[in-house]
Amino acid sequence: MQIRKLIDQRFTWSWLNKFGPFLALLLVFGFFVTLNAKIATATALEIIMQQSVIVGIAALGMTMVIITGGIDLSAGSNIAMSSVVIALLLDRLGIPPIYAAFTGILSGLFWGFVNGMLITRLRLVPFIVTLGTLLIVRGAAKGLANNMPITVGETWLSNLLAALPAGNKWLLFPAGAWLMIALAALVSLLLQDTRIGRHIFAVGSNEQTARLCGIAVGRIKLFVFTLGGAFAGLAGVMLLSYQEQGDPAGAVGMELDIIAAVVIGGGSLSGGEGSVVGSLIGAIIMTVIRTGCQLNGWPTWVTQLVTGVVIVVAVAVDNLRHRKAE
Amino acid sequence: MPRLFYVLLAIVLLFMACQQQSSNQITIAVIPKGTTAPFWNAVKAGAIQAAQELGVKMLWMGPELEDNRQQQIALVDNQVMNQVSGIVLAPLDENALRRPVRSAVDRGIPVVIMDSGLKDAEDIYSSFVATDNYLAGKLAAEHMGEILEGKGRIVVLRYLEGSASTDKRENGFMEGLKAFPAMKIISDEQYGGPTKAKAQQVSENIIMRFRNDTGDAGFDGAFCPNGAMTYGMLQALKRSRLLEKVRIIGIDADPALVTALENREVAGLVVQNPIKIGYQSVKTMFQVLQGQNVEKRIDTGVVFISPDDLAKPDIKELIYPDLDKWLSQY
Repeated sequence: MQIRKLIDQRFTWSWLNKFGPFLALLLVFGFFVTLNAKIATATALEIIMQQSVIVGIAALGMTMVIITGGIDLSAGSNIAMSSVVIALLLDRLGIPPIYAAFTGILSGLFWGFVNGMLITRLRLVPFIVTLGTLLIVRGAAKGLANNMPITVGETWLSNLLAALPAGNKWLLFPAGAWLMIALAALVSLLLQDTRIGRHIFAVGSNEQTARLCGIAVGRIKLFVFTLGGAFAGLAGVMLLSYQEQGDPAGAVGMELDIIAAVVIGGGSLSGGEGSVVGSLIGAIIMTVIRTGCQLNGWPTWVTQLVTGVVIVVAVAVDNLRHRKAE
Repeated sequence: MPRLFYVLLAIVLLFMACQQQSSNQITIAVIPKGTTAPFWNAVKAGAIQAAQELGVKMLWMGPELEDNRQQQIALVDNQVMNQVSGIVLAPLDENALRRPVRSAVDRGIPVVIMDSGLKDAEDIYSSFVATDNYLAGKLAAEHMGEILEGKGRIVVLRYLEGSASTDKRENGFMEGLKAFPAMKIISDEQYGGPTKAKAQQVSENIIMRFRNDTGDAGFDGAFCPNGAMTYGMLQALKRSRLLEKVRIIGIDADPALVTALENREVAGLVVQNPIKIGYQSVKTMFQVLQGQNVEKRIDTGVVFISPDDLAKPDIKELIYPDLDKWLSQY
């Protein structure tokens, strides 16, 4: 009888583990629907997805970094740098968009690799290293762009995050949003069903044990920071698509939105926990709050206040869940 | 050994001679808010021009970032130690820079404030040379009324909480719009925030809030108090395919916005005159050092530019200035 009860309880909590962020999303969304039904229209949903893409894609990489117990404060700068690199290639050199976009992703990958090397080879703390590269990459992007945003003409890249044309409404979301969803599925597979994925969790849960078990901790860290950088690079492609400019002053402070998305989605800053689907939902929750508040004409300070409350509640529920699980 | 002695003596004498000469010359230190933004390059060009005309030495130095108050305070203090003849300053903060300005003036070095104000310090500085931001907003409102023929629904996309210059522009606009009783501001509570992408997202949400199924944007005019807000609103309307429905008036110009003006995607831009700010500040400082009386408040003026004005030569010079001509001489 007692065992049965225990199993039930376990089941309830593991269920909440999986669907907690999704439940939170439904709750927040439902709240705004009761206030203003406009948020449930196809246009509103399209815009909400579209506005979640830049933070969402970068959050895929950040989730992996946070699972290993690390953090990447340079993500915002990295996004801006990638957008500048692409704009320079498109505008100054006339390189085809596909190659320019690819080079932007490579730029993100490169800075991620630099972060990873500094952290593993010099044995420095990720917080400090990426605080440094936050400034280095931002400065380099400003220098590269000569302090001016670089406007690019309309290419097919712009369509990644543009409103769907009238005939294509059946797609529901713009291409960039579908790309984000597909990548989330891939990264989720990587984390759950591959050896390297399990190693990522192991490093974050207990680095010493992982090392004793023969896991190449340094290589795993280098891997997640490099891949995280590449995702920031892709987010830069999306920023360029959205703004149609390479902006050296763009995405300032966005790393905090990205980290908040991961945390709302169940990621733990002490490592060992996190899910990409959760992080994506976290990014969408933040957009829903902003859109919902603005649809009702609430002033900006209310939006910020509500977002802050949701972050704290998410972390508090997470904490409670942990204590129950133990 | 003796030869080396003479060489050294010659160098020392030469050095002293140089020192002597430069102490006779007027040296004016100009401290902007930042050093690399295009706006400040234009201010610098104006300052160089004035310095050359007046035969004074101009020193240009500013903080790297426009929010580094400590660095700017140190720059002012250092110029006091250097014993320059006068300081022209664009304060990063209307309060934090009061103490260093006061200590400069106490040591006999006059200060001219440019671009942004210094609070409760009218008795300390010699003159304040800047755009009248309130008037800039009011001018935008007059033209908005004219373009929309005195009726319509208006959105004001604010910039940042606590930004003094844009606050004044927003207030000036809203005050100016009162002259048109049939024009209604339907949203003025949203702040676009520090980046263009954020401003664009906020604009999209404003559009979603007001648009209806008849293909109408739900508003007829948008006022944006700086370049980033104007760009964000422009992008959001363009991508919602509602650009023809809404007239945008913005303050400040950059190459992307000038292009939008050429394409008539923006109804008009109110522009400041940064070259004049730099020129007038250095000139005013020179007059102060000569013992002349100067105006306590000097307005460098704003101009409204519509797409039709772009061909006019004086407007051309204002939005496509030849800065390199002066910058190369510093």
